[in-house]
Amino acid sequence: MTQRVSIVGIGSTRFGPQPGKGIVQLAVEAAEAAIRESGIERERIGALYFGNFISGPLTGQEVLAGIVADHLGLANIPCTKVEGACASGGIAFRHAKLAVESRQCDAALVVGAEKMTQASTEMITAALNCAMDNLSDGVSGLTFPGLFGMAWRLYEQRYGLTRAQVSAVVRKNKANGLLNPLAQMGRYLTDDEIEQSPFICDPMRLFDCCPTSDGAAALVLAADELIETGGAVPVRVLASAQTRGAARIAGHSDLCSFDATVAAAHLAFKEAGIDRSDIDVVELHDCFSIAEILDSEDLGFMPRGHGAHWAKEGRTAVGGDLPINPSGGLLAKGHPVGATGVGQIYETVLQLRGDHQNLVKDAAFGLTHNLGGTGVACTVNILGRYDA
Amino acid sequence: MPKREIEDCQINVLHCENCGTLDPGPRSLCPKCHSAELAEIAVPGAGTLLSWTTIRRPPTAFREEGPYHIAVVDLDAKLRVTARLTAPSPGIAPGARVLCVGTRNDVPVFQEIDA
Ligand SMILES: [Zn+2]
Repeated sequence: MTQRVSIVGIGSTRFGPQPGKGIVQLAVEAAEAAIRESGIERERIGALYFGNFISGPLTGQEVLAGIVADHLGLANIPCTKVEGACASGGIAFRHAKLAVESRQCDAALVVGAEKMTQASTEMITAALNCAMDNLSDGVSGLTFPGLFGMAWRLYEQRYGLTRAQVSAVVRKNKANGLLNPLAQMGRYLTDDEIEQSPFICDPMRLFDCCPTSDGAAALVLAADELIETGGAVPVRVLASAQTRGAARIAGHSDLCSFDATVAAAHLAFKEAGIDRSDIDVVELHDCFSIAEILDSEDLGFMPRGHGAHWAKEGRTAVGGDLPINPSGGLLAKGHPVGATGVGQIYETVLQLRGDHQNLVKDAAFGLTHNLGGTGVACTVNILGRYDA
Repeated sequence: MPKREIEDCQINVLHCENCGTLDPGPRSLCPKCHSAELAEIAVPGAGTLLSWTTIRRPPTAFREEGPYHIAVVDLDAKLRVTARLTAPSPGIAPGARVLCVGTRNDVPVFQEIDA
């Protein structure tokens, strides 16, 4: 018999440049907040899963899981760092959920962290390209923005995408970021400002890309019997699915879709036993503006080719029929790679508690989507209000 | 481009000696039947452009080359490759016919075939 799992404590640093704070300090800050909020005694925490992509090359520090557990004064529990590029945080969450669900422990800690802004652009670009299959795509000179630039061009031809539709995604997420105290770059942008920013990978421009960030987020997961009355409002973990997609661009059946997202969404909805129409709020992997359109279609929220209209028509705004990235998403909240998947869950927990600064009213079910590499790793998680 | 020249342009790929699968490689096992009997063969370098972009902020290793163009091409030989694209015309769009005109670091370089 498996245990039901809930998120009983959350913590997060602000996302964005944090000079003077190292990756361990950021991780400890988020984790300590999550543990305190949960009210769970540290000796009850039986496992730590740490999502991080690239701390070795960028900070010279590895074995982060054990080091952070040491700082937190946790017992000599299994401490595991997991890496799946931009999906590292989501994968860490899934493993912690499995540990509690399968009764390996009654409570587990998930931490995601990345420290990037101290490094030179060259170092960061080189580090990010570690997430590409460097036997094939890497040697061509392709970059991650490049992959999405190609997807954009194909989508444009196939569905008649306009610059204004994509800009609507950028404007929405950047404006959402203004209401999120943790966000790196909330801002009101005009179409002109977006369209006049420099090309990065045509047709993609600077404001279509998420910024480099520092940050950490943490969650305490627990079995029902550990939930304290009077503690933080728990949120149920209804599903956590992880899948693999093609490691190489040439292996993708379509540039406008990621097989790993389609498969993970299918598995997650099956596990949760709810429908797409039940989802009230979504935090998805908008590493680039066009990605939000592709992801929302891959998740099955609208037919192919329709994702582009939704932002322009306000349907994905807070108050629309499917609010997407009320946190500001990666575009505005920032993308400290290993922290992102955990941060998405942090934001969704606040929504389901009714306690978010950019609140989707009466949200009962939320979905998070975290995609890594060129679509090689994906997690989709579904959370539910405790009483829903 | 003269017909003769088009026939001369070839691209090296992996051919599974067991099941006949073609793959751009490099890899050591056939992605379909997992056989290790992979031989390099040349296939015609003509194909159709799936999409392309211009890399304006190259990774460190390619800094001196930027900006350059990257493409995904569907070869007539029925396999898809990530490649370079050279001198695209302003109006080039997915579906354009392209031809391999050489390699760079073993990566094929394609050029638009004049309509
Ligand atoms: Zn074979």
